[in-house]
Amino acid sequence: MVEILRQIGHGLIIFLSSAVGTYGFAIFMHAPKKAWLPASLIGGVSYALYWALLQFSVYEPLSVFLGALLGSVLGQFYARRMRMIASIFILLAMIPMVPGLGLYRCMSFLAQGLYTEGAKAGVGAMVDIVMIAFGLGVGSYGIRMFRRPSAAAKEVR
Amino acid sequence: MNDDARYMAPLHLAARLILENGGETYRVEETVTRMGHAFGFSEVEAFAVPSGIFISYRKGDGNIETAVKRVRKGATDLTRVDAVNAISRQMEAEKLSCEEVMARLEEVQNRRAKLTKRQLMLALGLSAAGWAVMFGGTLWDSGVAFVVATLAQGVAFLLDRARMRSFVATLVGCFLSTILPMFFHLFTGLLVTDACIAACLMPMLPGLAMTNAVQDTLRGDMVSGIASATSAALTAAMVAGGALVGTTVFRMLTGGVL
Repeated sequence: MVEILRQIGHGLIIFLSSAVGTYGFAIFMHAPKKAWLPASLIGGVSYALYWALLQFSVYEPLSVFLGALLGSVLGQFYARRMRMIASIFILLAMIPMVPGLGLYRCMSFLAQGLYTEGAKAGVGAMVDIVMIAFGLGVGSYGIRMFRRPSAAAKEVR
Repeated sequence: MNDDARYMAPLHLAARLILENGGETYRVEETVTRMGHAFGFSEVEAFAVPSGIFISYRKGDGNIETAVKRVRKGATDLTRVDAVNAISRQMEAEKLSCEEVMARLEEVQNRRAKLTKRQLMLALGLSAAGWAVMFGGTLWDSGVAFVVATLAQGVAFLLDRARMRSFVATLVGCFLSTILPMFFHLFTGLLVTDACIAACLMPMLPGLAMTNAVQDTLRGDMVSGIASATSAALTAAMVAGGALVGTTVFRMLTGGVL
């Protein structure tokens, strides 16, 4: 029970920290002010899902894919609701998913002459990037498939 | 439709505003085509690559008007991209004259940034502070990441003012983002250095450019995909270079303590 509560607490910290990170980046990217909070919440939820799946030992690329997919779907939902371009929400939601730590570790290993570990970390980061792109793509096409034509006409992308 | 050539100006301005401010190439093509149709032209073609745009449409006299524009990418401003998109949507809903559209686009172009550079630096610091915890760091990592990312962005703005290319700013920013947390750890023993450094490097990483490159390629936009991938690879090389120099200099100065 204590372990479950500890994991939930850790999950909340992960959610809040990724949301704060996305919030700062939304300001830096000159996103419209009313998009700052929803975009950062979407970024937080997407990264929290990725983290939670990893805790359940789900294969990392699949976790990245599902996190990106959720970010893409939520981003498009909010874009339509707020009549703004989806890129604002999707772009910001993907920021926490970018494998910054993996890329840094790759460089760090290479600097120490540990080429095998560096290559391993680099390939892992590249796989994550491809999975983010797949997640975004599947999310976009999925939304278009399920969209009614009348809604499509009114849509603000 | 008399003097149809004048319609090229708003189409070009809209395309340039989207590309310069970080919009995707497919969005440029969609927006220009939509605006051209709203102006009443039947054959509107737009082809955008990250560094330029080609637009053509058939005029009322049957001739084709074509123009090419070189675009140099500036800082990302999603509010401007959204504003241009809103204008193009408005053109579909209500008939706007060429002059009205041009005036609205110029208003978007001339709109001053609402945030000062100092506020932007603090925003980036806040961002890095969040990511430091996200990567498993402590509150100390968060605080140091805030200071280092703010400082690195301040240096980037200074280099920008000195007309240095963005790649140089990335190189210097990554060097500072690597070496400063390492020295802080050396003197205090407090940081989870990996988390702190990765958080500081996050804003400079070309992850989004790489993602866009993969998406463009999957969409069949090979030229944009390859151009974005090349730009992302060059930025990644600068990030790697800055981080490697930072790590190497630190090891030289301290004899490889970390």
